[in-house]
Amino acid sequence: MTRKIVIEPITRVEGHGKVTIHLDDKGNVDQARFHITQVRGFEKFCEGRLFWEMPVITARICGICPVSHHLASAKAGDVILGVKLTPAAERLRRLIHMAQIVQSHALHFFHLASPDLLFGMDADPAKRNIMGLIAEKPEIAIKGVKLRAFGQKIIETLGDKRVHPNAAIPGGMNKALSPDKRDEILSQVDDIIADCQFAIDLVKEYYAQHSEEAASFASFGTGYLGLVDNEGNVEYYDGKLRLKDSRGITLEDNVAPENYLSIIEERVEDWSYLKFPYYKKLGYPVGMYRVGPLGRLNVADGCDTPLANKEFGNFKKLGNNGVVQGSLYYHYARLIEALNAAEKIKLLVQDEIICSQEIWVNSSTINEEGIGVIEAPRGTLFHHYWVDTSGKIRKVNLIVATGNNNLAMNRSAYEVAKEFIKDGKVTEGILNRVEVAIRCYDPCLSCSTHALGHMPLEITIYDPDGNIRQVLRS
Amino acid sequence: MRTLVLGIGNPILGDDGIGFHIAQELAKEIKDKNIDVKDTSADGLNLLELIVGYDKLIVIDAIMTEDEKVGEIYRLKPEGAGKPARSTVSPHHLNLATTIEIGKKLFAEQMPEEIIVFGIGTQQVATVTEEMTAKVKEAIPRVISLVLAELGYGKLAKASRVS
Repeated sequence: MTRKIVIEPITRVEGHGKVTIHLDDKGNVDQARFHITQVRGFEKFCEGRLFWEMPVITARICGICPVSHHLASAKAGDVILGVKLTPAAERLRRLIHMAQIVQSHALHFFHLASPDLLFGMDADPAKRNIMGLIAEKPEIAIKGVKLRAFGQKIIETLGDKRVHPNAAIPGGMNKALSPDKRDEILSQVDDIIADCQFAIDLVKEYYAQHSEEAASFASFGTGYLGLVDNEGNVEYYDGKLRLKDSRGITLEDNVAPENYLSIIEERVEDWSYLKFPYYKKLGYPVGMYRVGPLGRLNVADGCDTPLANKEFGNFKKLGNNGVVQGSLYYHYARLIEALNAAEKIKLLVQDEIICSQEIWVNSSTINEEGIGVIEAPRGTLFHHYWVDTSGKIRKVNLIVATGNNNLAMNRSAYEVAKEFIKDGKVTEGILNRVEVAIRCYDPCLSCSTHALGHMPLEITIYDPDGNIRQVLRS
Repeated sequence: MRTLVLGIGNPILGDDGIGFHIAQELAKEIKDKNIDVKDTSADGLNLLELIVGYDKLIVIDAIMTEDEKVGEIYRLKPEGAGKPARSTVSPHHLNLATTIEIGKKLFAEQMPEEIIVFGIGTQQVATVTEEMTAKVKEAIPRVISLVLAELGYGKLAKASRVS
């Protein structure tokens, strides 16, 4: 006897990216909400653990950017130990971080976003995905695989495991980089830089052909947040927080990451498990800000490598006073960062000191509090730990990149819905476009690290009385 | 012939860790230079990079079924393990079927010819805990026997695991 087994996806989004749209009396969009079902209890789960374990535990939060959690956690641990890293350890951490940026950005652009851009937003979803890309433009899909493999190989070299690394520990790194592995990276990096430039040309071609769409699609004013270095360049690993408003006016500058609570507060909404951080001084929800590639490039004055900096100049010209609002420009910003990261990898491995064996500093100090902040591929990531005198975690606060973008993702869904629902009439194409808008942020919805099923988008439209009017599914 | 036994799962997400834990157990039992046993929390393209280059692949993973037979073991072909994913909001998480389909298109020559999936019906996969639920835990020795039998370790496995 045969039996039909239907396998439901194992994800924390309950199998669906869910958007609800509420209409007003006239049938226009009153409100759009993007629902996220986060795993609950992670912060609680960490309590009682030794801070030493946290870089490995927190890397398990996410299968997509484990290196980011790993490093932010190790940085918080450095503060608890009260140590300053050796030059080699700091460079190795930067190296693994840049490798993560290259692979994550390449994956997003080549395999997730490029089908939207190459085939157009109205293309059939059955084609507008990686399978469609492989079928029609395999050479582009292959480049994505190559860039990813380069980044992943570095992560594996330094972290033993390909996905969940065991590279950084409070006080430094576990393993030094051997000269032959260094040479291997160096021998490949020019090719990788060229591929990043190829991707930039590709996205610029799209913008040239769709200038109006690029400028207007999910374009709205928000604040922008990111780390910058001492010269005001885009910074991913260390640096100070800078926050600008939609007009490009700097509202906060030179804020030490450990003082993040002086500028950020979080709000809880009963319809989403993901908190809503906002800029404290402007209040909720006006203090909405965006992080990630668009946020970082909007707040920075430049990039610290020549090729990326040249492209950065072109990017800045797109916006008023250097602030670019269109969500579709996330892709351009993301690729400029990939180029920046690839160039930074080259500089890091050209320096002999990166192969030094001096990679760890111990200390008998246990400070009661440690904050580690980095720029993850998707944006600013905060790890804040409180420990007892033996180093056991008393309390944890995490603000993740996708959380920082939560208000803006909701707003993007609203902006698109407003365009496509007028006077009660729902125009075709809304589903695809809401999806494309949310995808700009490269949201990391699911921190369960794998899924065995598919995760479509579902949009439910409600009338003013709260009755379901229409359900759209991809 | 090179075989990969791959346990997939996140050990801090309750029952989702089943594949991970089984791989760790199997690694202790299998000593054969032609068989690699790995655990991973990867999916999609990360997963693809792990499986390329093998002739045979045995996957052990948590599944959720409509019937909710927790602890039940399903032997599946990869195409049974979820429909290929289409457009998704955050399509980072490709399912196994899609991952294999992509692999066949991009690296046809290097993909395993034979792929078997052992799926274990699970209950609690979205709670942060290192503990699995009882019925899922009980399935561990049976899955180990099945995988060993698949690899030709059958008799030995049955003898030692009758209980």
